[in-house]
Amino acid sequence: MSSYIIPFLFLTILMYSAIKKVKPYDAFTEGAKSALPFAANIFPYLVSIFVLTELFEASGISDFLTQILSPVFGFLGIPKELCKLVMIKPFSGSGSLAMLSEIFSEYGADSYLARCACVIYGSSETVFYIAAVYFANVKNKKLLLPIIISLFASFCSCVFACFICKIM
Amino acid sequence: MNVIFGTVLISAVALLLFFNPDGALAAMLSGGEKALSLTLKMAVIYAVWLGIFSLAEKTGLTEKTAKVLSPFNKLLFGKLPPPAEKYVSLNLSANLLGMSGATTPMGIKAVEELDKFGGTAYATAMFFVINATSVQLIPSSVLALRTQVGATNPSDIILPTILATLVSSVVGILLVKIFVKGKA
Repeated sequence: MSSYIIPFLFLTILMYSAIKKVKPYDAFTEGAKSALPFAANIFPYLVSIFVLTELFEASGISDFLTQILSPVFGFLGIPKELCKLVMIKPFSGSGSLAMLSEIFSEYGADSYLARCACVIYGSSETVFYIAAVYFANVKNKKLLLPIIISLFASFCSCVFACFICKIM
Repeated sequence: MNVIFGTVLISAVALLLFFNPDGALAAMLSGGEKALSLTLKMAVIYAVWLGIFSLAEKTGLTEKTAKVLSPFNKLLFGKLPPPAEKYVSLNLSANLLGMSGATTPMGIKAVEELDKFGGTAYATAMFFVINATSVQLIPSSVLALRTQVGATNPSDIILPTILATLVSSVVGILLVKIFVKGKA
């Protein structure tokens, strides 16, 4: 179903612009022109976030935090196999996707753990990545409070995910 | 951001110095490499989306989208300057439809416009939190992965995911309304 959305949307825009007599080649290239400067602008912020993520993993801080927090998480109903996913998700989209496929192969795609991991993965975002990229071109980066709010809200959805997967 | 970055970097490098001194630079370089390959991927995605978007912009379709979402925007963000409102609307609709390629360029532009307008700490915080808590209706990447590994019913996680997403968004929006001052 969702695979139809994008081609349908493109077709609508293309046909509409044909009706409105917009020059499609000129307009498309004009928009595409800004893509490289755009990407170049976010590069330094992406580097910072990825360095942060790699160090977070390599130093063992993430394992250490996972160990400390797993009783707390367990108390809230998050199984200990999923603690790591909950910890990594705000930092790295690709990292948590890799973890998701690991969970699939280890416990089976239809297990409670796998379903729960899917919901956790699907219901939250890579908070630090969004913070870095969206604010790349802005001087005022007062993000501490919004980041804390987002992390807390995402955590709530993880707790909820573990609960809802038990009953649905 | 500076506080978080500083704290994690200092403690991580200090730990690596004691336990795995060769790992520090290696980890940082591997992070840089991943960032570069993602940047290149993003450049391509942006080129296509910004091209299509420029077509939509020239026909006035983008203003129409903004107009449709306007009451919803007013409720969440308060009064927005028109250019910011346009990008905010486009970003939110791309988010809802799960078009992750389009959300980022629109999001960056929206934050830029909000910043230009000044005095919009509230609107900016709200916009960030909504994006960071995910408002996707259909978790397409998870669905694809589940189909790949042969789940009996890959789509059985859609409803729980929508509900969980709703929980995070509602909690986030409420907290912004409570803790961030200065609604325009």
